Amino acid sequence: MTDERIIRIDPVTRLEGHGSLTIKLGTDGKVRDVQFNVSSTRFFEKFLEGRPMEEAPRIAPRICGICPVPHHLASVKAVEDAWGITPPPAAIKLRRLLIEAKQLSSHAIHFYALAAPDFVFGPFADPAVRNVAGVLKHLPDVAVQAIKLMQFGQELCKTVGIKAIHPTTAIPGGMLATVSEESRDYWLGQIPELMENITKTVDLAKKVVSDYIDVVTKVAVTPTYYLGLANKGVHDIYDGTVRVMDPDGKIVADFKPQDYPDYYGEFVSDHSYATHIYYKPVGYPKGIWRANTLARCNVADKMATPLAQEALKEMRELVGRPSHHTFAYHYARVIEMVQAAEHIKNLLEDPDIVSTDVKLADVEPRAGNGVGLVEAPRGTLLHNYECDEDGMILKANLIVATNNNIAGIEKSLLDAARFVFEQQGHKDLKLPEPLVKL
Amino acid sequence: MTEPVPVAMAQGSSCWGCYQSLIDIHLHLADVLPKLDIKFWTCVADFKHQDLENYPDGSIAVGFYEGVARTEEDTHLLKVMRKKCKILVAFGTCSCYGGIPGLANFYDIEECYDVKFRENRTVTGGKVPSENLPPIEPVIRANNTIVDFDIYLPGCPPTSELILKAVTALLSGTPLDLPPHAVCHYCKREKKETPIPEILRPYQGNADPDRCLLEQGYICMGSATWGLCEGLCVNRGATCRGCFGPVPPIDSDQGAAGIGMLGTYAPIDPEKIENECKDPLGQFWRFTYPASRLGRIRIKREEAKK
Ligand code: SF4
Ligand code: SF4
Ligand code: SF4
Repeated sequence: MTDERIIRIDPVTRLEGHGSLTIKLGTDGKVRDVQFNVSSTRFFEKFLEGRPMEEAPRIAPRICGICPVPHHLASVKAVEDAWGITPPPAAIKLRRLLIEAKQLSSHAIHFYALAAPDFVFGPFADPAVRNVAGVLKHLPDVAVQAIKLMQFGQELCKTVGIKAIHPTTAIPGGMLATVSEESRDYWLGQIPELMENITKTVDLAKKVVSDYIDVVTKVAVTPTYYLGLANKGVHDIYDGTVRVMDPDGKIVADFKPQDYPDYYGEFVSDHSYATHIYYKPVGYPKGIWRANTLARCNVADKMATPLAQEALKEMRELVGRPSHHTFAYHYARVIEMVQAAEHIKNLLEDPDIVSTDVKLADVEPRAGNGVGLVEAPRGTLLHNYECDEDGMILKANLIVATNNNIAGIEKSLLDAARFVFEQQGHKDLKLPEPLVKL
Repeated sequence: MTEPVPVAMAQGSSCWGCYQSLIDIHLHLADVLPKLDIKFWTCVADFKHQDLENYPDGSIAVGFYEGVARTEEDTHLLKVMRKKCKILVAFGTCSCYGGIPGLANFYDIEECYDVKFRENRTVTGGKVPSENLPPIEPVIRANNTIVDFDIYLPGCPPTSELILKAVTALLSGTPLDLPPHAVCHYCKREKKETPIPEILRPYQGNADPDRCLLEQGYICMGSATWGLCEGLCVNRGATCRGCFGPVPPIDSDQGAAGIGMLGTYAPIDPEKIENECKDPLGQFWRFTYPASRLGRIRIKREEAKK
């Protein structure tokens, strides 16, 4: 096979984390294989062993600086599950405010800084321009709107979590910091501008989707299973049951996070340090699932807030349910951004948000096995710890958001590679004029 | 306007948090970004490793390296950065001292592989992946034992204010002066040098918001930690875990200072201390183990196995 061609893209850029792509082409021009090589790992599951359980929420966020909040909260929920404690209701509202604020900033950064440069300058523009600095230079209004959304989310995270990156407030039994009335009033004052920026983002997203509809509906349309949290069928990112949808759109499982070992399989591939998670009852690779924005919007019967529900309806009219369109992830991201903004507004208006009754004083460790699950921006995130009677961690199992997607990413890349190398489909794609021509 | 300064931003194995903290300077980005001529920054611009390797040596004015050298590729990238950049910044606590990923040095690499690839609740019988992947370094060494740095900017992550201050100084070529105080210096809690009768775990009880946490029995690393965060956690209710590393000089031993501090404050029977403070390594050396004296002994032992 000396004529086999290997294409390496190293590293894959505008991605958080580390990875490269390997595409193998046969002599006949057919795509033989596509590998997504995740090239690093840091062994958190091992070094959490031997640590006191309550320290896990202060260590595990370092898995990801983009989504430290979901790690902080999945971790503390796992501890509380193992020790059999429930924090006061106001503490849960603070945690919800924290995770929605993170959802907002993370989706804004993803949409504007990682994805938008391609839409703004077209996918073939010079890399020296096709990035967030280029957007700032050529479309300052859009950039400022983006920055304000990110800033709102990150600073609100800091208000609730003490630190926006690697927060330190959640503790087994509640929260260590409260929100003062002054601070709450400050944030309420920011809401009108937030909602305005959200509306502008929705408009931009709709324009991008209709401009690129040929790409959305033709490239990387990849049927897989989908995984996401839902609360009695309604989209939720903090609490609920875990839903699995099959490629035909049927809900095939809806289970408590604690039952995950019956549903989650973990496949160790030869070419990636990140393992591939899949739907265990049907096996690998048939049961490859995807999590993240589109998956959550697929599995949910509806969104929890009115504007987001409107937006979901419009998306479903365009791409259906389930949508297998990999590019529709961007659209779903914007729908979730809308929902996060609406939730934030409601939570800030709730008088409980300034409550000082946010922590139990009489927490006791006990031997146990606890699971904590929340939705990170990039997908369902699960922490599972076993501990001894002093609350020292004996074993940890972490299923981080991205691992749910690695196999699905490979699958959609394979579809995209076939489209490009076998069908030369990219040549006929209808691409719009870039928003900015250089 | 003066010419933009050529810069490179690189990541070893990391969490992205230091760069997120850079992006969190928000509207200041509009002042800073136009002053940068970005030569390499894989998370926001489509430059490849080869681009970096092909620049002339020393042609990049300032380089930031985030994360640890967990793989041979990370180590290589670190060395390439050193060659290409005139000023190299150890960006964040991982890069300065090994950080949280350095906790992996408590264990043998084979034990790490067991849990990650061979055996846990969802994996059985996997092998360590190797196709088209850079080999994993058997042990994490502090980055400054691999290359020399010109500037250390600790923090997990460094605060956005600190980053802005550093970037502004670097771009204008002025020296970066960082105050050398410990976290306690910025802490508003009252400290009366009261001895500690017993050690509490952080979820126990509800702490008095006005008194030193350590004197109430909660282990706080404030006195052993560089206060560049200006006491973020301690001023809002959480104990300091030491994420900014040791008070200068940069090679001082934070863990030893932390234990020393506990020793002076807690006239408690050694057996009782041992019983109440169950994870001294993970408590006092959480962010600096690979760079510490104890940690270096461990690295030597691991390397001797080869
Ligand atoms: S120092 Fe902290 S924030 Fe920076 S890369 Fe390391 S873990 Fe992430
Ligand atoms: S030990 Fe901690 S709580 Fe006490 S003064 Fe120092 S920083 Fe503040
Ligand atoms: S108070 Fe301590 S743990 Fe908190 S940010 Fe500062 S150095 Fe880090």
